[in-house]
Amino acid sequence: MSKWKLAFKPILTGIPLLLGVTWVSFLLMVYFGPDLSYTMAGKNPSTEQLQLIRHNLGYDQGFWHRYLAYLKELVTFDFGHSMYKDQKVTSMISNALPTTFYTLLPGFLLGHVISLVLAMLAARHQGRFIDKVIMTGSVIGMSISFLVVIVAFQLMFSSVHGLDWFPVRGWRIHGVDGQWSWSLYLQYVAVPTMAILFVTLGYNTRFYRAILVDEQDKEHIMTAQAYGHSTFNIYGKHLLKNALIPLMTRFLFSIPLVFISGALLIESHFGIPGMGQLTYDAIMAGDQPILKAVIALTAVGLVLMMMFSDLINSWVDPRLRDS
Amino acid sequence: MRPIKVLCCLALFLFLAACGEQPASNTTASQGKGQSNLKTYKHSEDGIPASLDPVKASSSYAGLVVLNVFDTLYSYQYLKRPYQLKPNLALDLPQVSEDGLTYTISIKPGVRFHDHVAFEGGQGREVVAEDFVYSIKRSFDPKSNASGAWLWQGKIKGLTEWKEAGADYDAPVEGLQPINEHTIQITLAQPYPQLTYTLAMPFSAIVPREVVTHLGPSFGAQPIGSGPFVLQRFDADVAYFNKNESFRQEPFDPAAEGYDPEIHAGLGIESLAGQSPPFIDRLEIHFIRESSSRWNAFTKGDDIQYTTVPKDKQNTVILKQAPLTLHPQITENYHHRYGTETGFIYSGFNMEDPTFGITGNLEQDEKNKALRCAIRKAHDWRQKNKAFYFGLGTVFPGIIPPSVPEFDHHTSQDSITTDIAGAKALLEQSGWQLDELPVFEYHVNASVQNRQNFAQLRAFLGKIGYPLHKIEYHPYPSFGAFYRAVQNRETPFFFMGWTLDYPDAESALQLLYGPNQTPGANHFNYQNPEYDALYRQASIMQPSNERTAIYRQMNQMVIDDCVLISGLSRNKIHLWHKNVVTYPDRQMLGGGHLRYVDVN
Repeated sequence: MSKWKLAFKPILTGIPLLLGVTWVSFLLMVYFGPDLSYTMAGKNPSTEQLQLIRHNLGYDQGFWHRYLAYLKELVTFDFGHSMYKDQKVTSMISNALPTTFYTLLPGFLLGHVISLVLAMLAARHQGRFIDKVIMTGSVIGMSISFLVVIVAFQLMFSSVHGLDWFPVRGWRIHGVDGQWSWSLYLQYVAVPTMAILFVTLGYNTRFYRAILVDEQDKEHIMTAQAYGHSTFNIYGKHLLKNALIPLMTRFLFSIPLVFISGALLIESHFGIPGMGQLTYDAIMAGDQPILKAVIALTAVGLVLMMMFSDLINSWVDPRLRDS
Repeated sequence: MRPIKVLCCLALFLFLAACGEQPASNTTASQGKGQSNLKTYKHSEDGIPASLDPVKASSSYAGLVVLNVFDTLYSYQYLKRPYQLKPNLALDLPQVSEDGLTYTISIKPGVRFHDHVAFEGGQGREVVAEDFVYSIKRSFDPKSNASGAWLWQGKIKGLTEWKEAGADYDAPVEGLQPINEHTIQITLAQPYPQLTYTLAMPFSAIVPREVVTHLGPSFGAQPIGSGPFVLQRFDADVAYFNKNESFRQEPFDPAAEGYDPEIHAGLGIESLAGQSPPFIDRLEIHFIRESSSRWNAFTKGDDIQYTTVPKDKQNTVILKQAPLTLHPQITENYHHRYGTETGFIYSGFNMEDPTFGITGNLEQDEKNKALRCAIRKAHDWRQKNKAFYFGLGTVFPGIIPPSVPEFDHHTSQDSITTDIAGAKALLEQSGWQLDELPVFEYHVNASVQNRQNFAQLRAFLGKIGYPLHKIEYHPYPSFGAFYRAVQNRETPFFFMGWTLDYPDAESALQLLYGPNQTPGANHFNYQNPEYDALYRQASIMQPSNERTAIYRQMNQMVIDDCVLISGLSRNKIHLWHKNVVTYPDRQMLGGGHLRYVDVN
């Protein structure tokens, strides 16, 4: 199969996915989401005022009419104004997305790299003490609620009752001169990164370990060991390369979910004005234009990742290309 | 070796971060300005505003911002309690005609809007009477999704007709006329003694037409007014303001603002005398919902300088409840004050629902009334206050809270006194068999505290023999969903709060006025012709003993009919850093105190 076919196949399969995701989410929003008209109407509205607000918000239009309008918004990438905040949705997203990127990138990358290293250590010492220690640590990380970790880390590292090393909350990464400041950035991103690491290491390590253990039992690894290849050579060249497809798939597919939907808890608790905070506020307020945009972006991101994933997989494993 | 290297990198990363310079409170606020000697005050609130357009400012958080960016004709004296109006943009209190129908208001000349590209030359122009007229009209524009039209609906002559005629801003409104550039005349359809209060509310804030037209729907995100602060940026949960350098010079007079040495001495307020507010260069308002985050940021020292004490931190702060005493460590480090809200919480019955309300069958209606009264008698306000409000709340009978002058200390306490034997006797006398009692649905928006509230109420009702399996919890995923259910009359019994819009008991009494039935403010759908007649009679009366007597009579009617279980006014503890000069108020002032804040 040519690269072009490989690239466009996910787009073709992605269109039904996009339609499905947007339709289901829109259905949920319309029939089960909050109705803003009652809160927007104020304390003592008349029935007529309520109807007027419902009309202005488009609640009185039919489902299919509204859904088709949503698809048009998706194509033109113009989701109008937030129902709640009076800001343009695209400008809210374009402000929030870089913040989320900078907030989550260290935790995301370090989480995957450290997990992979720990998983390799555990796999290499499968069943032995190191393996058990790493796996026990992973289970502990997975077992503690993310919210508890966030509150505890904030207390330990940021509050006067703890080490008081970092700011409690907020996001001021520009210095007095208005320029990007690495020092400020590192201060504000440190505690969120540690919290992300603590929680995600367990999941990622266990997943990567399972892949690597499965791979290291294969004949080509045993053959390499029989030929006397170094451990570094075996793990770096043979094992990792052959396990790359599931590893890359997990890595790529977590990108849109993490960066577009954002880390709801992290951002809302640390007061970081990113996508997670934006989405959380929109969910709480029932702000449909923002929710529609976030859902659509996540779905588009997934389709793009499917496309990249297939391309990368075919590059890593030529057999896929030939088949 | 590689894993070790990676871990070393991580350690180095954390080390660098820890060693980096801490952001200084003042310098960070002056990003891009290169000025580190500016006075910055960092305020905090426990919720987040939505739109900052005055016509949509229905939440206290939005009101806080609006009252600092925009001007209203009137505001409240900074320190005077009970609250007293004072002129703000207006030159004086309104001149009211003898029949109470015509209000003439002069506004201060030379007051200018903040600069904006929509103005000629980009410089803010003078605020004129026409701007006020335009601003009130906006509440009646069908396209504006305004929340405050109810304040003037049917009261200012010609507004409804203007709306029905197409809401053309160039068309005049009979009762809303600019006499000249600096004089406004308002003509009412009937006397409305609360009108001046409404002109101190965020809904009446004055906006410039050309900027609203220029920004369209985005005006609510980039507000431009003539208030003491200019909004620079509004992130998801922090609003940054600069001082309005051209704000009118009005030297601060502590005595005129109600300064009382017995209450306000030691806060540094008297040192501000003679200076013109605002006294700070930068204002930051941090909207922090997470209580632990807010508390940690406050106690850290430089993140925020003011907070109310979150519920889960009251144990840390309070040493003794009666009399209320704070821990010495708190009083040593921070200034504090206690403030009672100008509203109250209550539980109410939907009188239109046959479960507890009116059925049309007189005998059943009497039984239902007895059931409502028995449920109220089972209620233990003392326990509720202790369990959820640290015993700090003020429990009072009826719907006239202690924060208004019409409150009556002599009202019988029976309606807020637990009487289990009386409740049981009442049920028995009215012919209720315990197994015949209806299913009791407790409707509320979902939260941990509301679940605990339900458990407590269930225990109260259990004491009078109410079958526990018939007491059900009906949570809603959000306040919006719950409010919709109340407005749609789907809640036989509900738990809510009400904040007064002005210091007049009418603001609470309207809750039971028949024509205000849902979707209006009368969530109880209470219909009592006698009550309604008294309401209409009192609503056109100026404050007087006679009017107060009518208010109290109405309050007693509501108590006698057992329409609601009320009430409790919550008491907040305010804390602020010792280097901040302020007397915070989250109630009627609505943020009007921020212009008087100073930082040493």
